[in-house]
Amino acid sequence: MTVQDAISVLNAELIASGEGLLKKVNHIVASDLMSDVLLVDEEDMLLLTSLASDQVLRTAQIVGAAAVIVVNGKSLPSSMKKVAADLGMTLAIAKQSKFDTCIALHQRMTS
Amino acid sequence: MENVSHPTPPPPPPSEGASGDALSLTTAYEPLVLMELIQRLKVRDVMTHSVVSVERCIPLWEAQRLMKEKHISGIPVVEEGRLFGLVSMEDIICAIEGGYIAQPCGHYMTTKLVVLEDDMPLSFAIHYFDRFHFGRFPVLNRDRLLVGIVCQRDINRALLDELSKEFSRMEKSVARTTPPDIGPTTYMLREFPVAKYDFENAGKAANAIKTAMLERKFPPKMVRRVAVAAYELEINLVVHSDGGMLTWQIGNGRSEVVAQDKGPGIEDVAWACRDGTSTANEWIRSLGFGAGLGLVNVKRVSDSFEITSKVGVGTTVRSIVNIGAPLEEQE
Amino acid sequence: MKLSEFVETTGFEVLCLPDASVMVEEGYTSDLLSDVVSNCPEDSVLITVQNHTNSIAVCTLVEAVAIVITHDREITKEMIELARQEEIALFRTPLSQFQATCVVASVLNGAIE
Repeated sequence: MTVQDAISVLNAELIASGEGLLKKVNHIVASDLMSDVLLVDEEDMLLLTSLASDQVLRTAQIVGAAAVIVVNGKSLPSSMKKVAADLGMTLAIAKQSKFDTCIALHQRMTS
Repeated sequence: MENVSHPTPPPPPPSEGASGDALSLTTAYEPLVLMELIQRLKVRDVMTHSVVSVERCIPLWEAQRLMKEKHISGIPVVEEGRLFGLVSMEDIICAIEGGYIAQPCGHYMTTKLVVLEDDMPLSFAIHYFDRFHFGRFPVLNRDRLLVGIVCQRDINRALLDELSKEFSRMEKSVARTTPPDIGPTTYMLREFPVAKYDFENAGKAANAIKTAMLERKFPPKMVRRVAVAAYELEINLVVHSDGGMLTWQIGNGRSEVVAQDKGPGIEDVAWACRDGTSTANEWIRSLGFGAGLGLVNVKRVSDSFEITSKVGVGTTVRSIVNIGAPLEEQE
Repeated sequence: MKLSEFVETTGFEVLCLPDASVMVEEGYTSDLLSDVVSNCPEDSVLITVQNHTNSIAVCTLVEAVAIVITHDREITKEMIELARQEEIALFRTPLSQFQATCVVASVLNGAIE
């Protein structure tokens, strides 16, 4: 499953597209605590979070995440689009809750 | 009869100014150096200390003469350090038109004043000029005594001075990043000022460090470790310190990130380094920080980790990662 | 599904189970307590890394019935005690939030094979 596949499975709205869009997702992390995200030692992860802030993108860049998907259809602060573009980070919004997002992606990965 | 009743006390600073976040200069994209500067400099650092003033009984024409002689556009009316009002150019023009230029200043001065306090950050002063369109603001100290006056020119001069100092310092550190001759090792040094509670910019320094290391083609695993350490330390400075400096240096195959702050210091360092320890409040947690993993995480990714702290003085954390040579040099 | 059955199928570590006959209907995954307050459905199990007494308080508020703490985070006596008082079941797992969510979903809905 690539990031693009994940976005289409979720019917998510693509906000910023970076080089991660075509990457294969090796690992999914669902977290709203950025310190926890920093503990994950996996490259090209897909980060699912209910937190809509610039720090999510900055954290994602630090750990080399492939993309960030903000769940619950949250409206993003206007700065996020610019920060995503600056960092070359792929960013999308999914309408589903984090619980349902996890399930949908897991189904796609195991089917 | 003399109309010398006490003027209404100067109004308190407007509430939106008091929070310090409505400043027009402070956007997410201002350079960090400038942001840090306008927070660090206080009104007292930029104001004119020797203030020309008059007493209430002095006639307006005398105020006019002084303004002309000293090339100033407004004179505070002061007695024994207490500010009673201000005579501006406009007051003088009205006095000439109205034919009362011989009357005492106390009768016709402006008493509705907006004042600054000497220990407010410069950012407040900039905000006030934006908000009130006055040419100058009297500056009071904690005892409400007049200690100076600030006009826009004072701010421009002080900022130019400080920026020129800052630039020469940056030029020196850039010069140091270029080794005298091209040797086998890469050397880099960068400094990033970090301001307290500046969540908007938190993480920018770590992002920049990561980008710079990837550009120099250091091994991605090593880059990630350095970036994680830098990020946690940067967030710590924002969340817990009164502001400080993040310094990053590469040399001899080692990366060193040092976070040095100006306080408040940690009482029990061993406790602060424990897993799950946190003094962060709910607000900080709501931003996804303050889960109490910060220092543990820095330690985890570092080959060498040191922390020293003194209450009331500050904390210094040093994280060293042995990164080896850039991939190109290894070939 | 009864909590007793939920525990048996998921194999999560039980730290507090005041009433095993309580029904759990749905799941919600979040670390942001404000988000839990506004979006967590009733009678659900909350999957979170927040090993904090506030998590219990929030569950009481939204009438969630259980909490699963992920990543084997340390859980204090205070938290267990509060869970008992508030009659919230408290479980723990070494799984990540994503993995735990998938397990809970498969147990609750049979959604995942």
